[in-house]
Order: sequence, then C-alpha cells, then structure tokens
Amino acid sequence: MIDPILPAATTFATAAVRMASPLALAGLGEAYSERSGLLNIGLEAIMLSGAFCGFIVANLTQSINLGILAAIMGGLVISLIHAYLSVTCRADQTIAGLALNFFASGVTSYAFLMRFGKTTNLAKCPVTPILPIPFLSDIPFLGPVLFRQNAFVYAIFIAVAVSILIFSRTEWGTSLVAVGENPRAADSAGLDVGKVRYTAAAINGGLGGLAGAALTLGSLGFFMENVTSGRGYIALVVVILGRRAPIGVFLAALLLGAADALQFRVQTLGINIPSQVFIMFPYVATVAVLLFSFGKSLDPGALGQPFERGRR
Amino acid sequence: MKTLRVLVSYLLVAAIVILAAVLSITAVGSDVTKAFGGFLRGAFGSVYGMSEVLVRATPLLLAGLGVSIGFSSGFFNIGAEGQIYMGATAAAVVGLFLPGLPGPILLPLAILASLAAGGLWSAIPGFLKARLGLSEVINTIMFNYIAINIVGILVRTVLKDPNYPLPMSPELKDAMALPVLLEGTRLHAGFIVALAAAVLVLALMRKTPIGFAMRVVGLNPRAASVAGISVPASIIAASTLSGAFAGAAGAVEVAGIHHRLLEGISPGFGYLAIIVSLLGKNNPMGIIAASLGIALLQVGSMSMQRQAGVPTSISWIIMGMVVLFILARTTIFGFLLRGTTGSRA
Repeated sequence: MIDPILPAATTFATAAVRMASPLALAGLGEAYSERSGLLNIGLEAIMLSGAFCGFIVANLTQSINLGILAAIMGGLVISLIHAYLSVTCRADQTIAGLALNFFASGVTSYAFLMRFGKTTNLAKCPVTPILPIPFLSDIPFLGPVLFRQNAFVYAIFIAVAVSILIFSRTEWGTSLVAVGENPRAADSAGLDVGKVRYTAAAINGGLGGLAGAALTLGSLGFFMENVTSGRGYIALVVVILGRRAPIGVFLAALLLGAADALQFRVQTLGINIPSQVFIMFPYVATVAVLLFSFGKSLDPGALGQPFERGRR
Repeated sequence: MKTLRVLVSYLLVAAIVILAAVLSITAVGSDVTKAFGGFLRGAFGSVYGMSEVLVRATPLLLAGLGVSIGFSSGFFNIGAEGQIYMGATAAAVVGLFLPGLPGPILLPLAILASLAAGGLWSAIPGFLKARLGLSEVINTIMFNYIAINIVGILVRTVLKDPNYPLPMSPELKDAMALPVLLEGTRLHAGFIVALAAAVLVLALMRKTPIGFAMRVVGLNPRAASVAGISVPASIIAASTLSGAFAGAAGAVEVAGIHHRLLEGISPGFGYLAIIVSLLGKNNPMGIIAASLGIALLQVGSMSMQRQAGVPTSISWIIMGMVVLFILARTTIFGFLLRGTTGSRA
C-alpha cells in the first residue's frame, strides 16, 4: 500500500517546493520593503523585469550566472524607481507600483518582440541544473523534496536564514522596524529614514529579480509576454500570510506552491473539478487569515505613508 | 506665472513620453511617420475607428467613476477588476434566468443587479477597512482574484453553454442586448449610460450630503469625526458606491459587446480605471476625458501595429511612463516650480 503513495507524495512535494521558490524569494524581499514602510504593489514589475533581463542575458551569453546577475539588476532598477517615487517624490506608493506594473509589462513584451519577433519556435535560455546535495538528498522524502533542487531553492534557505539573523539580531533590523512603525520617532532618534527605506527597496529589488530568474532560468527555459502572470500579486499575499517574518513567508509560499502543484495534478488526473477552485484557495485563505487576526493590526504603523521631515 | 510653469512641466512630461515613443518605434525598425499616421488613421480615419474609441472608453469611464468615488473618500479601490467581473456575472444571470421579460424591463433589471453585485463585492473590503482597520489595498486585490476565479468556475459548471466546448455561458436573448447607436459599428447605448453616470457622480459628490460627508472623510477623517460625520459609515458607503459603478461596467460589456458571460470579459479594465481616475483628478469631467484618452491610445496603437508593425505593448509603456512622470513631476521639475507661491504645485 505504502509503496505507490510515497513516490507520488515526493513528486508532488518536490513540485510544490519548486513552484514556491519564486514566491518565497519575492515575498522575502517585499517583507524587507514593507517592514520599512514601503508597500510595493510593483512586485509584479520587479519579477517581470528580473525574468526578462535574466532570460535575455542568458540567451545571448549562454551563461546562467550572468543571467542571474542581470535578473538581480533588472529587479533592482524597478525597485529603485519605486523607492525614488515613494521616498524622494513622496508619491502614492500604490499608484507608483501599479504604474510600474504597466510599464514593465509594456517594456518587456515590447523588447521581447523587438528581439525575437512573433516566431513559432520559442527562443530558449539555459536552465539551472538540479544540484543534489550529497548525503542530505538521500534522506527519504525530505531529501529529494528539499535537497534535490536547483540553486534558487537553496538561495531561499540562505535568504531565510540570513533574514532571520538580520531581523532579530542586527541593529539595522531594528531600525527597519523603527522606520516602518514610526518614521518621525526614528528620525528624531537620528536614523536616516530615507536611507533605510532605499536599502530595504534595494534588497526587495534584488530578491524580486532573483524570483523572476527562478521562473525563466530556474524552470521554464524561455520567456513569454507577462510570464509572471500575476505571481507578483500572489507574492504580496505570501507576505501578508507569512506576517512579514522569514519563516512565515517561506511556509506561506510553500502553501501557495502546493495549491499550484495540486491544481496541475488535478488537471492531469482528469478530475472533474474546475482548477479555479484550487487557484482561488490561497486568496480565500488570506482573507480568512486577515479576518481572524483582526483587533491586533499586523501592518507596520507607517505602511504606505510617505515621510517628510518637519511635516505633521 | 505659476500656472504657466505648471503647464510647462506637464508639456515637458509629454515631450519625454513622445520622445520615448519615437525611440521605441525606431528601435523596432518602423517608420515614425508611418507609425503615427497609422495611429491617427486607426483612431480618427474612419467612423468605425472613432466608434471603437467610444466602445473602449465606456467600461473605463464607468469603472473610473467608481474608482474615483473611492479615492475621494479615502477608500483605495484596486478591486474594480473583480467588481467588473461580479457585475458582469449578475447581469448575465438576470439575462439567463429571466429570459421572458421584454428589454425595457430586463435591461434596467440587469444593470441594477450589476450595481448590487459590484457594490457588495466592494462593500466587503470596505466593511473590513471601516470596522476592523484592514488594508483595502491588499483585500481588494484578493477579491479580484476570487471574482475572476468564481467566473471561471461558473462558466465551466452551472452557467456553461452545453452546446459549446469553450468555457462560456449560452448567448443571451436579444432583449438583453443594449441597442446599437450607429449602424455598422459596435457602439452601443452603454456609452450614453456611462455619460449619464458621470453627471450622476458629479451631482452625488458635489450636491448631496452623503457626497459631502464622503469627501470630508477622504480629506481628513479626524476633522470629519469631530464634525459629527460617521467615518466608518462613510467609508462603507463610498466603497459600495465605488464598486457599484465598476459593476455597471461589467453589465454594459455583457449587454453591449459580448452578449454572454465569459472568462477575460475585462482585459484589465479595472486596473486601467485606476489610471483613468488618477489622470482625471477624481473629477467626472476629467474622467470622461481620461477614459477617452486611454481608449484612444489603445485603439490607435492597435492600428499602429497593423499598419507599421509596432507592437501594441507600446501603449502600456506610454501609460506607465505618463503616470510615473506625473508622480515625479514636482520633484523632477522642482527647479521650474520652485519660487512659485505655495511650496507644492
């Protein structure tokens, strides 16, 4: 009885972790941003830019490493534009993010069509190999699920561990929260609010760009218009579900990745339930979680609000 | 002097965006004159082209009006997309389940149903914001996805057309069709409905006590509260009205264009509506102009693709850039605006 179940469960869980990887990376980045008070709805644009820049450079140079570097830069540029608008221009963060989503969607598909045209054979880029970690990957179930994956999944483990340290053990982690909760008090205490927010945005851009590369270089091996198809918005859900904590974000991404994998599974098995039932699940879950956590507001005090010295 | 400088700063924004468009067109190897010619011919060169601009503008105008009610009342409605889907569903359900009714009764009923459905879909995040302090930005995005998936489930199950393999509802009866205004085009009475809605919103926001209350809450919730205005009640009212107009956009798309419920009934109208409301400065007359402008850009760029091979995604680049530069305008062109009376222009 056990025999057929375990391999199936392993395959499923492995797929879930792989699907979760872009969400976890982008969600972790956004956690930095939101902790500092910057709500970046433009996560979709960051990921899309990362996915595109990573793809195009890897396609031209056939080097995955250069592709990953380009993806990080691509995400960084978008995130810094958002930071410039929100911090320096004190513009509305939501509108800035939304406009960036339009802009990035336009620019990436325009540049893609410009380079490759409307051809039937897809332009390819190299895909990161599966790197089994010796010994660990031989553990039953957990081995293949966690340790027989690509570099992006391992990057999540590192990013989660580093983020835990940064958030709980460093002075900068504390100033991040201070700036997000009460920028005026943080400013009085001598913190440079703008600098902290720009740094948080840069981390968000880098991780978000990496998340985009996890899509094109990590699994697909090609690019198409709007390849992220709303994953940036889903990553925002991950951040809320995970309450902006590294482990929380990781687990929330796993949950959503599992829902995604389940939906594919159900489709291939030909079960007669519309896949939308499963796609919808994470959103309903998020609303439910938000509902049950009411009373104690989870958002940083100054989330989404611009800060201007000497203004009340 | 001040207005002149502000005007110059807007003209500079326009110049940058046009320059970017020219560079993009040259980058794909197209001829700029031919491309702009194609753009203008597509939008103004024929009665059909002009009518298509109005067809596109209709849902943008209705949803943009809805979004603006939310914005002026401090309810940041990112959820117009989902509200359009719910409104479209309600209208289609009325059409499918009350087929015997004549048009003059059926159509108003369908629009009423869409107002109710869109309003309810927006009132939930509104209630959550007003009573529990939950951010409407994230919740309305969530409700977009839930609504889109609900439509996906419905058109595959209970509302599916049994005679057709694709996921869509059966075609609605002719009584459910909004009358076509101009023979040979798709321009339907929904455009008139949308224009009437703009006048209605203008009157509502400027001339009624509830409109006044909502605007005060949007400007300064604390002052509103001190003045005896119930802030939660105003937010809930604003969110409901906001969603209702977006819902109506769904109804006119069903009754005017598609004549059935299908997936992708809104290709992002709800998100564009946010841009429309922003460019229109939350003023119904400005929103009419902004919806026409965005519609023009989209119709024109489709023709530019046909005639000069420029990808339509150029319209998204232009829209994104316009908004980004408008947000950054006072900072980037600070040298121009500094010294004007009032520190922020």
